[in-house]
Amino acid sequence: MDATRQDAGMTETLVRREPLLGGAEIAAILVFVATFAIPLLTKSVLVYSVLNQILVGVIAAQSVWIMLRMNLLSFATPAFMAIGGYTVAIAGRFDITDAVLMTAAAFLLPALVAVPLGALVLRLRGTYFVLVTFVLSQIMQLVLFETPSLTGGSNGIAGVPPVTLFGSELASYRQMLLFACLLALLATLITALLTRHFRQHFAAIEENEVLAESLGLVVWRYKALGFVVAAGVAGLAGYSLVNMLLTAHPSSFDSITAVDFIAYTIVGGRVSILGPIVGSTLLIWATNLFGTHGQYAQGLYGVLILVVVLAARGGIVGSVAALSRRWRS
Amino acid sequence: MHVFLEAGIIGISLGAQYALLALGFTLIFGILGVVNFAHGGFYMLGGYVAYTCVSGLGLPYPVAVLIAVLATGALGWVFELLLIERLVDDHLATLMLTLALYLIISTGVLAVFGPISMEFSFPVGGAFRAGPIYVPRENLIVLAVCLIALGGLWLILFRTDLGRALRALADDRAVARAQGLHPRVLFPLAFALATGLAGLTGALVTPILSLSPGVGDPVLATSFLTVILGGLGSLGGAALAAFVVGIVEAYTSVYFGGSIGALVLFVLVLLLLVFRPTGLLGRETRGA
Repeated sequence: MDATRQDAGMTETLVRREPLLGGAEIAAILVFVATFAIPLLTKSVLVYSVLNQILVGVIAAQSVWIMLRMNLLSFATPAFMAIGGYTVAIAGRFDITDAVLMTAAAFLLPALVAVPLGALVLRLRGTYFVLVTFVLSQIMQLVLFETPSLTGGSNGIAGVPPVTLFGSELASYRQMLLFACLLALLATLITALLTRHFRQHFAAIEENEVLAESLGLVVWRYKALGFVVAAGVAGLAGYSLVNMLLTAHPSSFDSITAVDFIAYTIVGGRVSILGPIVGSTLLIWATNLFGTHGQYAQGLYGVLILVVVLAARGGIVGSVAALSRRWRS
Repeated sequence: MHVFLEAGIIGISLGAQYALLALGFTLIFGILGVVNFAHGGFYMLGGYVAYTCVSGLGLPYPVAVLIAVLATGALGWVFELLLIERLVDDHLATLMLTLALYLIISTGVLAVFGPISMEFSFPVGGAFRAGPIYVPRENLIVLAVCLIALGGLWLILFRTDLGRALRALADDRAVARAQGLHPRVLFPLAFALATGLAGLTGALVTPILSLSPGVGDPVLATSFLTVILGGLGSLGGAALAAFVVGIVEAYTSVYFGGSIGALVLFVLVLLLLVFRPTGLLGRETRGA
């Protein structure tokens, strides 16, 4: 009797269930719930424009962050964004604009494409993963240019119709922005649930992949799952981007934009889900401060990455957390 | 038939350029274990340094090329010594450092020279004719210089003590260190050698192709493709793959036009990875 109880107790401590969401995840979700207030409180076009860019960037950065949880740096985000974005733009040509349907498609299609690609890419070690994901984004660019009948080639697809939610068109800037908030909230929820549920698995892979494998963790399964979900999340970012521009154009999904999303994630901090959120918000806001000289923002990203890698490994969120811990003790 | 031969010569010429880039890239990876995202940046910088020397300082083109090699080599040496060296065992961190350097180089070039492409043309014009075959003379000169550089690199790596030391470090760093080799001296040298090669390629090729702040991106992509095809860290594989990529690119652009050739090449390389994850001549070496 006693032994059984003890045994049950042991099992409980050994496979302690992760809570559904942790503090950082709840904070992240609350941030995006609160964001809905911004379009309702102001009508400033500048605020709308910057907020919209941030809402797209945040989703893309979360896609990068999911893979970074396993120490994998992905440059494939623009490729999956393109699949999500072009899915919506092509469906728009056939007057399919239903938000629920398109959100599902923008998530599922890139995720499906990621399954065979993941099987190919994830057999490779970390360095190859970086190079091959970069090449994937290049391939996507070429595919977009070489399939003009489907994707409009170098002209892209202009005049994508606004989304419809439960039959009514979200045509005003405010409604579009509210929908962008919704997509960001959804992406955050997916990212939070995934990374929280598999927190220990991902952490084990990040810490020491070989050790994790030798302890019985089926590493490829979690990597593949992360890759597929990250692709889906990137697809949502593509949807949000096309919805913002009402255009799907190859230049929006240039492979080099992957560097921006990586910068958001690294500068914000890779230690928690708040990192990509803080990073994309600050960097996109800072980019807008450059005004017409936006191209110089890349240099700022470069300097910030140097600082983070050399001096503040946790990024902004990690450094703030470390400081507050020191201050409390 | 002469179109076929012309395309072949262009392909070999492209291959020689890609080989210089890919060998530098794979040297850095093989010896230091660093993925150099700034490789395209050094190529671009080589072009801009040569351009400044020719049109700003009025120096003859060969001198400008030499200065470009020295300048990019020196920048690589300093960058390795001051920054990469501190984190050389952390793959992700060094990758981020080189990425940051690339962003800074690109922005610097943009700030100094502006976004438009430069009027930078090769000093030797005309074409070489042999019967129906017609090849621009500039391509032949670039090919000759690239082949000389490749030969020089081979001599350094396989016929000098420095080369032996570098290859020993690539094979097994711990053993090489135990034998008395000094990574702190040799790593910056290897980095400088590789970035100097990228600068040389930039100084040679940008007058023929184009010189603008965006030229580094496709170079980076081609270098990646080449080293994946050849096998990361394999010198022979990189050289072989570079010529394969160059020749395929030349023929597909002549016979199909557009970017179909590049697309086919990219997809073929991905498929190769299914069957040979280590590339053509790669071995299971570095646990990267």
